[in-house]
Amino acid sequence: MRFLQSFVVAIVLRFVHAALIELRALDSRVVKEFERMPEGLSYAIRTGHNGPSLYVEWDGRELRRLPSLAHPACALRIKSMPLAFQLFTGQMGLSQAYARHAFTMGGEVADVMRLARLVNLVEAYLFPKIMTRRIMTDVPETEVCFLRAYARILLGFLTCKYKLSK
Amino acid sequence: MVPYFEFQNAVKLLCGELALERIAIELELMGASKPLMLSDAVLTKIGTLATVIKAMESEGVEPAATFTDIPVDSSLAVVNHIAAFYREQGCDSIVAVGGGSVIDTAKGVRLVLSQNKQDILSLSGLDNLVRGKHVPFIVVPTTAGTGSECTGVAVIRNDSNGVKMEFLSPYVEPDAAVIDPRMTVGLPPKATATTGMDALVHAIEACTCQQANPLSTSYGTAAIRMIAENVVEATRNGSNKQARFAMALASTMAGISFSNSMVGAVHAIGHALGGVCHVPHAVAMTILLPHVMRYNLSHCAQGYAELLPLLVGMEAAMATPAEKRAEAAIEAVVALGRKLHDICGIPLTLSDAGVVRDTFAHVAEVAVNDGALIVNPRAADESQVIEILNAAY
Ligand SMILES: [Fe+2]
Repeated sequence: MRFLQSFVVAIVLRFVHAALIELRALDSRVVKEFERMPEGLSYAIRTGHNGPSLYVEWDGRELRRLPSLAHPACALRIKSMPLAFQLFTGQMGLSQAYARHAFTMGGEVADVMRLARLVNLVEAYLFPKIMTRRIMTDVPETEVCFLRAYARILLGFLTCKYKLSK
Repeated sequence: MVPYFEFQNAVKLLCGELALERIAIELELMGASKPLMLSDAVLTKIGTLATVIKAMESEGVEPAATFTDIPVDSSLAVVNHIAAFYREQGCDSIVAVGGGSVIDTAKGVRLVLSQNKQDILSLSGLDNLVRGKHVPFIVVPTTAGTGSECTGVAVIRNDSNGVKMEFLSPYVEPDAAVIDPRMTVGLPPKATATTGMDALVHAIEACTCQQANPLSTSYGTAAIRMIAENVVEATRNGSNKQARFAMALASTMAGISFSNSMVGAVHAIGHALGGVCHVPHAVAMTILLPHVMRYNLSHCAQGYAELLPLLVGMEAAMATPAEKRAEAAIEAVVALGRKLHDICGIPLTLSDAGVVRDTFAHVAEVAVNDGALIVNPRAADESQVIEILNAAY
């Protein structure tokens, strides 16, 4: 069970990274978030005990995925694999995860708030409303059809712009 | 109800008459004898700090050192400076006497010392620290509002960018808090009213945010009732020790409540107003509360309706039609603010508090990055924060 959850979480983490990049081309709020993001801001998202992780850094032009980060500005650790599975499969929103003490964080709370807004937008595009209504108090309206977001992300994986490997 | 919650309050409360005289034995029981006293210039001047020191000395504990240069809006640099001073002076414990700024500074100092660091900046975060070394730590609140004596968070300004940083860890909680009515009898009416309203905001937000749980709500609801019954009397008649003690206890209970739940948009916007426009925290809370409640109403009607009996009494609440109770709770908060304004002239609008509209965009940008917004019952973006600010103007 844990292996399966871990496998799904690893895939979704790669997907989230791709979605953040592709939504910059589609949604004005995502554009604005990146415009305001401090250059050099980095996030480490780790899950459970030795679970999959995502390391990204904003270099002022793009959000680069890295194999690891020694000193992330914002280091999130989801406390267990079942919690990570809930969080990354649309069963629990980020604010709900906060309310349920689902993660620890080293760094500034403001950077978690930036991430929370971005993740909410990603989820608004990637998950159906019937799911997002249950995990957010207010679901952001999508500015373009969600299919365009899916198409761009899948194309990105097919053309090896994004990789499923480490 | 939330499907999962956590609750922690490890602070020993010393409440009531002659509580100050028990600080010495508490230190002794923790193996400490050389406390560093922390306070501010005003409390030193009016003799509040001397009262505490005298009570300690009468029971055989003399401060090893005293630091009273803590500003109203303390900062990371102040924390680091005091931690170095503690080490220089060979102290073995901390006794903090003051309001929110002194207590939060002391929490920061304790964190730096227990984690054996030089700079507190590296410790910011949420539940990210290991326990560290035990540094005996007692606080004596001198306002009835912040509840900081019982919260697992220290909020301290970052000097480099002016942003308030949050250090959320159970290890910032003091070992003991001393709730002695002597500490608040001298508090002026305006400060009594606004800090009382700050405590009310803590309790209301804690009871209605997404993180509310049965234990935090039990403390929060008890606090709301006590504040509604005592804040007017404590403001009007500051020498009423019963009312003072009730407010001090209510503030502590509200602190326990929100430390185990969370605050919300009133605090997020209030922190931003403090950072950008220098509006004192308790004043911002007093002004914003009804406006944020109106904003949240669509998402929180049942939660607010349940507060009505606590604010106006059971009889008046039952006489209000069920569907009108949430709005009546907001009106009760408005009426309480007006009553306090009539007694001592506290500001009830942002314009009265000297805020100018030109700052709203900046305030909103800062507010949406404040952690207090994350579990507010209703999400808020910058334009919605500006709407709230306009309503409060
Ligand atoms: Fe507050």
